[in-house]
Amino acid sequence: MNATLESNNHRSDRVKRAIQVLSESMRGLAAFHVNACVRCGLCGDICHVHQAEPVPENLPGAKMSKVAAFYRRYHTLLGRVAPFLVGARDITESSLEELVEHVYGRCTACGRCSLHCSVGADIASVIKAGRNMLVAAGLVPPNLQAVVDNQLTTGNQMRITDQEIKDTANWIAGDLEMEMGLGQIEIPVDRQDVDFLYLVNPREIKFFPLSLMSAAGIFRVAGASWTMSSQFCDVTNYGLFSGDNQAAFQITQNVLDEAERLRVKRIILSECGHGFRSFRWEGPDWRGSPYPIEVRSVLELLLEYLEKGTVKVDPTRNPERVTLHDPCNLVRWGGLIEPQREILKRCVMEFVEMTPNRASNFCCGGGGGMLSMSEYGDRRTLSGKRKADQIRDTGAKIVATPCHNCADQLLDLTKKMKLGVSIQSVTELVYNAMVVP
Amino acid sequence: MSNQKIEFDPDGFMKDPHLWNDEVALAIATEEGISEMSDDHWKLVRFIREYWLKHDLAPAVRLICQETGLGVRTMYKLFTAGPARGACRVAGLPKPDGCV
Repeated sequence: MNATLESNNHRSDRVKRAIQVLSESMRGLAAFHVNACVRCGLCGDICHVHQAEPVPENLPGAKMSKVAAFYRRYHTLLGRVAPFLVGARDITESSLEELVEHVYGRCTACGRCSLHCSVGADIASVIKAGRNMLVAAGLVPPNLQAVVDNQLTTGNQMRITDQEIKDTANWIAGDLEMEMGLGQIEIPVDRQDVDFLYLVNPREIKFFPLSLMSAAGIFRVAGASWTMSSQFCDVTNYGLFSGDNQAAFQITQNVLDEAERLRVKRIILSECGHGFRSFRWEGPDWRGSPYPIEVRSVLELLLEYLEKGTVKVDPTRNPERVTLHDPCNLVRWGGLIEPQREILKRCVMEFVEMTPNRASNFCCGGGGGMLSMSEYGDRRTLSGKRKADQIRDTGAKIVATPCHNCADQLLDLTKKMKLGVSIQSVTELVYNAMVVP
Repeated sequence: MSNQKIEFDPDGFMKDPHLWNDEVALAIATEEGISEMSDDHWKLVRFIREYWLKHDLAPAVRLICQETGLGVRTMYKLFTAGPARGACRVAGLPKPDGCV
């Protein structure tokens, strides 16, 4: 008893915060999930990280048990009185530091384990609670935290200035005018009273403008009334990845406030897996209230254009075989499954599915913030092996990828594993097939 | 590589970007599958390098294209991995933040 009291008194602030957050994050069905695991080990075959590197630490159940051990220690009777009997573990500075690699470095938060667990345990959500704890303890891997900080302090994850956003919009518009021959084309920035605010992945402004250029070209033909924002242009939300609900809320709210300032009717999200999940589904929970505004993916908008005939396409302009990667956060977590398929079937000559696909698809290996954490770069590449095999098996020349995070990982895999494919957004393929009136 | 041992992070970016020189650039370019660094390759790489030395930030693709006079589609042909993981890596920059 004295020993316990003493250790309580010496607990550092970060340990106390972690204990507090653990209990907040593990409400509801937590007790069921942490006790449900029967150690069948089947989750090993489900997880791309474990498939590529089959060591016990990579079993989803094992990653979950790291967090579950802390939960048992503070929230079960046996864990409190006889922790050694139930594998319960004290939360200490060193046990928290040890957790970092298990929940950030061995997991892309893709959720495939939760979907397929033989007893239905929500493994991914328990692992996520581990990330929540490490946020409270200030132990988020620095490269991941840097992206969250960029978003909070500059309004976008790549620290792009408002001037650069405006200059890039003008530059892309100029190129588009030359390509389309439709006369003047504008990419509006900070325009008020338009139909929608278009959020982009800052990567589209800074490094890969072809998707934004394609979207602007399609919007021109569709006669859309839209704008980008120079202050909050960003569709991503790295608070979701780090497990920082407060930051995630702030990032969401900044965009909602910007939409209100611009007096737009709705928000359209560029192709982004976790951005869709964050803005479409998680945001109202972080806020604690529903949105005052409609939020949709650009995929839904594009399909609407095609169905109504607002935009006409000629699939012969995409003659090569195309396959589709399903981003975990868009499809498995986000439920946006069919629009991208309906679009591709209209826009390309030959569309083939990967196996498995849709909600059961494999993570590319770069999700959950993995792409920004260089320290785990080797494992990230290795764990993309399953995806690389899936792509190869299709014999496709183009991999359509409705997520810029996945796109970067797939580009990297293409290079390192010599896949010989081109990685394109769905928007680019639509633009390519579009019949310019 | 001369007498100096160059170290890379697991993403293939230089751990100490200041050890960069033309020889290092050529070695990374070979890894990128670029069999020969053309004048246009060098033009891109040198612009990115100089911009980074001045601003401690990778330049946006707009600047890269406008300053070198190369079209955006040409740039992706020169560096198939794109400006971030391709050109910035050859230019010896540390890995840019975020979704790249």
